[in-house]
Amino acid sequence: MTFDLDLIISFLPDILRALGVTILLWIVGSALGILVGFVIAVLRRYGPRGLDLALLAPVELIRGTPFLVQIFLLYYGGPFIGLSLDSVTAGLVGLTIYGAAYYSELWRSGFNAIPRGHIEAAQCVGLNRRQTLKRIILPEMTMLLLPSMVNMTILMLKETAILSIISVPELTLAVSALGTKYYAFVEGFAILALVYWALVEACSAMGRYAERRLSKYRFAAT
Amino acid sequence: MTEKPAIKVEKLVKRFGANTVLSGIDLVVPRGQVTCLIGPSGSGKSTLLRCIAFLEEANEGLIEINGEPLGFTSGEYGERNRLPAAQIQKVRSHIGMVFQQFNLWPHMTALGNVAEALVTVRGMPRKAAEERAMAQLSNVGLSARAGHYPSELSGGQQQRVAIARALALDPDIMLFDEPTSSLDPELTGEVLNVMRELAQSGMTMLVVTHEIGFAASVGSKIVFLDHGEKIVEGRPDEVFGKPRHERIDQFLDTYLDRGAATLL
Amino acid sequence: MSWKLFWLLVEASRLTIILSAVSISLGFVLASLVCAAVMSGNRAARAAGRLFVSFFRGTPLLVQLLLIYYLLPQIGLNVPSEVAAIVGMSLCTAAYQAEILRGGFVSVPRGLIEAANMCGFSPAATFRRIRLPIAVQLTIPALTSEAIMMLKSSSLVSVVGVIELTRMAQDLAASTYRPLELYAAAGFVYLVINIVVAGLGLGLEKRMSWGRL
Ligand SMILES: Nc1ncnc2c1ncn2[C@@H]1O[C@H](COP(=O)(O)OP(=O)(O)OP(=O)(O)O)[C@@H](O)[C@H]1O
Ligand SMILES: [Mg+2]
Repeated sequence: MTFDLDLIISFLPDILRALGVTILLWIVGSALGILVGFVIAVLRRYGPRGLDLALLAPVELIRGTPFLVQIFLLYYGGPFIGLSLDSVTAGLVGLTIYGAAYYSELWRSGFNAIPRGHIEAAQCVGLNRRQTLKRIILPEMTMLLLPSMVNMTILMLKETAILSIISVPELTLAVSALGTKYYAFVEGFAILALVYWALVEACSAMGRYAERRLSKYRFAAT
Repeated sequence: MTEKPAIKVEKLVKRFGANTVLSGIDLVVPRGQVTCLIGPSGSGKSTLLRCIAFLEEANEGLIEINGEPLGFTSGEYGERNRLPAAQIQKVRSHIGMVFQQFNLWPHMTALGNVAEALVTVRGMPRKAAEERAMAQLSNVGLSARAGHYPSELSGGQQQRVAIARALALDPDIMLFDEPTSSLDPELTGEVLNVMRELAQSGMTMLVVTHEIGFAASVGSKIVFLDHGEKIVEGRPDEVFGKPRHERIDQFLDTYLDRGAATLL
Repeated sequence: MSWKLFWLLVEASRLTIILSAVSISLGFVLASLVCAAVMSGNRAARAAGRLFVSFFRGTPLLVQLLLIYYLLPQIGLNVPSEVAAIVGMSLCTAAYQAEILRGGFVSVPRGLIEAANMCGFSPAATFRRIRLPIAVQLTIPALTSEAIMMLKSSSLVSVVGVIELTRMAQDLAASTYRPLELYAAAGFVYLVINIVVAGLGLGLEKRMSWGRL
């Protein structure tokens, strides 16, 4: 096995650009997913019952099928219903929809986990609905949901690699292309794995740091 | 052997990190009697009991059960030598323990909980073990609940099953760590009654409790612990009767409602 | 879309199910070993176990599959791509299952183990009679989710040329020019499989439940 570091270095600019695409897709996709997920969760919890049921179906459809199949459906099937997206847009939309389904379930579990008593206590001391949401529910929920949100966000990073299959010019695609060109697959994928690993570890380290900083919001022991 | 005390604790020291929880406890638990350990929260009662059960290893000092060293012996120069695990298990088999949180195994019925050790540890056939377990359960008034899982039993019933589980192994010493602290007042009574009967049958008992009434009426000896030290030790009338040690007075005032204290 | 096409998808899903079932089972065996290593007293074993878990959870399965697919021939193992797929999937799910199992063992309340100690149980008996059954019961929901996750992730092995459900849909979509119907149908088949697995998991959970701890 020839470990060709020079090769990697000479293509560093390409690889860095691809890494930028990966990170951009990851951050934008996660942020949109979290946002849309929140909206879905709020609609399902506070909206009419029919809406809850109407939203249940798509959420479960997304959660019950592989991301790759969803992406294929969107990218290759989309044009047949007048939805022609380029690969990057399709990737981002797919990632957002996929993430929104999972994040909405996390938000829902967060809403359910906050004891009614905390909300009642807030109303007793005279907080209105908005203040209750801002001062009580959201801070408590942030603490509660942080670990699972971080986990989901890490999953989102790993799912971006799948977008290489529909030729989104992200990191995995760039490395595969180099591999094909110079027949250096093993070296390329090994380094690729290390890059993702580093990103994931960095993300979970940040999550742990945030958890420590926010730990004052943790529920008092009961 | 009979003149040896059931439990003898000498200069026991236990630290958790820099926190010294027991600072040189001496204690003798006489055979066939009930010794009650009382004291404020955090005074080290549970820790002492857990050291005697060898669930916790003391840092210094020695413990003897029926005259046999538990865990460590003192060497020629006063150093402690660790005994082999088999020896520890053998000495420990004289002791039964009942926990505040019951600690019944949730995947076994009441009968299964009581029979389990007879089968797994003593190697009894399952059927014989279950017969013996059934007898133990009826002793604590629970034969009708034998087939129930712990999650289907009330706290008081669970604690009685836990007592039956410990008794099934024929211990000659029973340790109780606040057996009624997680029970409602109505359920406390049924557990205390079982303990009372056990005491009358001549079992050696060491009981950590906040039930001062129980301690005063059933205990032959009261030991008062505070900040990891033994402050007072004596018969209930000596310890609770007036004039009282000032710390006992404080304890009764702070930790119990005055009604209970004036009853004494 | 004709029934014939749909039936081809259903037939291809056999391989999806087989690959997933084999990987999940092999992964479970491996996960037990990894979990034992992570929880062992041996520092080297603990470090190795943690590194394994961290790596396979920290990298995309797609990248792992590609790496293994190209690595195996380089070290002289010319195996069919199905085998490479199983190796990759097993390693990945082993890392997740090891974490799930560890979580189960850690969640067994200490008092239950102390009660066993007081009853004279040997460490082996405590493990067999108390820790293992409780940990298994506690982990069934998480293991079911992981099984579903793996079923979905198995779609990635289409990339290394295994003709399973997703790859069949892809090939049929290319030859019939009907991607919309074919991918929707493939998604439907995945959904049905996952609903069945979720149901099995719930049944198992119910059968093993003796109430809460
Ligand atoms: N495993 C442990 N690790 C660290 N510190 C401990 C541990 N167990 C007990 N302690 C500390 O030892 C001290 C005595 O605890 P212990 O549980 O023995 O008190 P106690 O007298 O039983 O109190 P309570 O009446 O509340 O049960 C406490 O300060 C406690 O914080
Ligand atoms: Mg205590």
